[in-house]
Amino acid sequence: MARENQAEKALCLLRSRLCDPNFAFKALSHSDDSNYSKLKFLVSSSITEACNNSILLLGPRGSGKIAVLELVLSDLLQEFPDMISVIRLSGLLHSSDNCAFKEIARQLCVEHQLVFSRMASFDDNSQFMIAMLRECGLAHKTIIFVLDEFDLFALGKQRLLYSLLDAMQSVTSQAVVIGVSSRLDADMLLDKRVRSRFSHRKLLFLPPAYEDIQRLLEHILLLPTDSSFPPDYAIAFNAKLQTILADERFKEIINTYLNLDSTVKHLLRYLFRAVSDMDLESGMLSLENFKTALSNIQRHPKLECIKDCSVLELYILVCMKRLEVKEQNSYNFNAVMKEYKSIHDSVKTADYFARNVCLRAFEHLLQRELIGFADNRGQNQSIEFSPVKLLISSHELHQGMKSYGSCPAILQQLMDRQK
Amino acid sequence: MGKEESPKTTRRTTRSSALATPSKKVVEETKASSSHPPTLSDLVLGEEGESFSADDLLSSFPGRRNQILELLRLLGPQNSPMFPVFVYGGTSTGKTSIVVETFRHLKRPLVYSSCLTCYNPRILFESVLNQLFLHRKNAANGYSSAKRCESPSDFVNFLRDALVIILGNTKGNSGKVTSKRSGKSNGNMIYLVFDNLERLRGWDKGSTILPLLFNLYDILEMPEVGLIFISSASPDTYYSNMGYVEPIPLYLPDYTQDDLQKIFMRNQANKKLYSSFLSVVLRPFCRITRRVDELSSVFSPLFTKYCEPITDLNVVPNKETNQRLYNFFRPHIAPALNETFKVSSQQSPEVEVKERKGKGGTRKSRDFEVEELDFHMPTSAKYLLIAAFLASRNPATLDSSLFDSTGGSNSRKRKRKLSDKSMEQKETAEQELLLNPGSFPMERLLAIFQCITSVGEGPLDEEEQEDGGLGIQDGNGGLMSDVLLQLSSLCSANFIVTGGSCPLEGSTRYRSTVSEDMALKVARSIKFPLSKYIYR
Repeated sequence: MARENQAEKALCLLRSRLCDPNFAFKALSHSDDSNYSKLKFLVSSSITEACNNSILLLGPRGSGKIAVLELVLSDLLQEFPDMISVIRLSGLLHSSDNCAFKEIARQLCVEHQLVFSRMASFDDNSQFMIAMLRECGLAHKTIIFVLDEFDLFALGKQRLLYSLLDAMQSVTSQAVVIGVSSRLDADMLLDKRVRSRFSHRKLLFLPPAYEDIQRLLEHILLLPTDSSFPPDYAIAFNAKLQTILADERFKEIINTYLNLDSTVKHLLRYLFRAVSDMDLESGMLSLENFKTALSNIQRHPKLECIKDCSVLELYILVCMKRLEVKEQNSYNFNAVMKEYKSIHDSVKTADYFARNVCLRAFEHLLQRELIGFADNRGQNQSIEFSPVKLLISSHELHQGMKSYGSCPAILQQLMDRQK
Repeated sequence: MGKEESPKTTRRTTRSSALATPSKKVVEETKASSSHPPTLSDLVLGEEGESFSADDLLSSFPGRRNQILELLRLLGPQNSPMFPVFVYGGTSTGKTSIVVETFRHLKRPLVYSSCLTCYNPRILFESVLNQLFLHRKNAANGYSSAKRCESPSDFVNFLRDALVIILGNTKGNSGKVTSKRSGKSNGNMIYLVFDNLERLRGWDKGSTILPLLFNLYDILEMPEVGLIFISSASPDTYYSNMGYVEPIPLYLPDYTQDDLQKIFMRNQANKKLYSSFLSVVLRPFCRITRRVDELSSVFSPLFTKYCEPITDLNVVPNKETNQRLYNFFRPHIAPALNETFKVSSQQSPEVEVKERKGKGGTRKSRDFEVEELDFHMPTSAKYLLIAAFLASRNPATLDSSLFDSTGGSNSRKRKRKLSDKSMEQKETAEQELLLNPGSFPMERLLAIFQCITSVGEGPLDEEEQEDGGLGIQDGNGGLMSDVLLQLSSLCSANFIVTGGSCPLEGSTRYRSTVSEDMALKVARSIKFPLSKYIYR
């Protein structure tokens, strides 16, 4: 029981490490030319030199842009306790200008213990922001604007971006605008008047090198050998883990995964899947955990869908496939039924069902999203008449039917004959 | 896993009773308003002190052992954060019930909202917040929500506030109440479940709400929140140009035949008898569908039929009786297969009606009525139906050649001419099959109606008499009012739908939705030679 408790505690620790992106990126941020150091240097110099600045952090989703930024900000908040206030906006939430100014005003009010009025107009809020920028500049306080999903702010008239960047042109203000985006062309989305005010500094976040990943794995998965765990358990756990990490098979698994998704966040997601499979009785991670996690996280939804189909639904799919091979560019349920009937006429099959049963199976396929309406107009017509199309490739259908347990042999032949 | 789960369960039960707060999900308004701060234990499902062990959980879902264990593993031990999980699988594979029952077993707080009942972003947001604030709509508060929340940014702000309050309370509570067990952490995770996520894609603002929900975990930055998405559509159908770190997939496949056997054997009075019944029907029906809801509605009338020959339902069948029953029952299987999805008028309406959607549904029930000959409709309405069918099917330019004023004898000649033509126009006929039924103005419908009634009159004299003078051959004025009445009732019965109005003429256009089979049947019932008039 005590052993199990230890295991549970270890599992909790590992899971909370994996769910906290800051923890993972701490390990990667120590070298001198890392994005962490560059960003920290830039922001801290603009704080100490009391100047305005703007920068874009670009990189694929899950590459740790926000996590690194958070690390930098928390460090700076400790270094310069009363000189920074951070305003956080997300393009997902505040992409409309009105909403964004309101949120900025709200956060500024919270930060400076002012009363925020929900009724304030767009104009009030934007003037309030400009005034606050000036006041903070006079008090040598830097406001850091973090704009997550930066590309979404560039969708409309870009009034927020313009007024932010324009306010930073004056000597009195003291602000840093940090845009974060997963679109690498985010700065090209800006209007001319906005672009000319933007500093064009960009930091690119690339997937980590293999050595870094090795370091990251150890950083995350090894248990601390201080007093939090009984030393013999932690040592045994770590030793087991080291042998796994050194194992060639493990390296192969990790490489297969990284070939698909090389960002850190995806790696964490994969590790989470593996760690949650940990055997609580022995309290150890095993190579098996990592193997099953790989197969569990790499799913083939379309193939699974085909496996779920009933035989009748497979017949309909094959009929549609045959129609497509015949180069009928547009067909509907009636045409499929005609094909189904002709199949039945040429090879007498046991699976010949009435029209309404087939229609129901057809509706099931629509629900499974293996087939779909060819155009949006189809919604107000009855299902039989609206043109449909297959949403799976013939290769997928082939694969699916091969792995289907009790697929009638005749269906396979019908598929192959068309090829 | 199952073995070691049981001691934990009892511990959890004692914890929730130690907290001494009602562990019902729905808390009365009085409690919420009477300065009773929301705590996590109010969101726990199930009765206080009720124990629902892992074995109970596993045994209540036959064929789902692996998936439940996987879900339990992903949720992890108490108090451990988790990545968002995406539960998906076909209809009636037990997605929602497995998730909800798992939480009943774990006794962890759960906020459940379904995108099916919360049909727009505002209702969805407010439903989540109401549950978190333990707010309940009633007459006293004018059925209003706890917070008015329309925009995503408000939602995230309120959500964060609510979570901070609720999590802060538990921490305080656990410090006070369970200080004896201070070393042991209490569950201070809260799980948000979003069901029927596939609906969200169809919403007006779906393209912005969907990335919001998928990125909610990153936006909130609260490790105490677990997100679970339930969807009947697979993750690959959720592509957006925004992108997101995909949640961890958990797949529930459709039940296999063996699983279905186990499911249907549950709660049966006479297991032996039912298993012999299943051995007959399950295999053929599995070829059509493997959905539990559909199969169960088919099996219940079939089983009564199966049991007809035996008087005592508690009899333990031996080989001989099985053979006898099978021989008696066998002729019923094949027709039953073809009636799998039909609703008979005697059946209770809730059996399958909920499953069908829109027009497809009404159509099918109609077909059924015709076949069963319990289809009551005035003869003039039948003529009108045929006229509408012809107007939809045939191109308008052929009307004059088909319905010549000289009547039926001549039209046969025309027909022959047409069949010559149809040889070369076979391809256009094929196109015809694909196309929608054409739309037509009312004038054309009435013209065809008059033509075919005048054709039908000749040979049908006796029947017309029998039907008691339907007003068809009455004067034109009488006919018109009657026919218009019939037309509107046909429209309301969804046999004829009113399409969009013609932009030039401004008059309403109609469209017939009956299938050819059905039109032929109706024609046969009034002995009208319909096939002569269909242009192919």
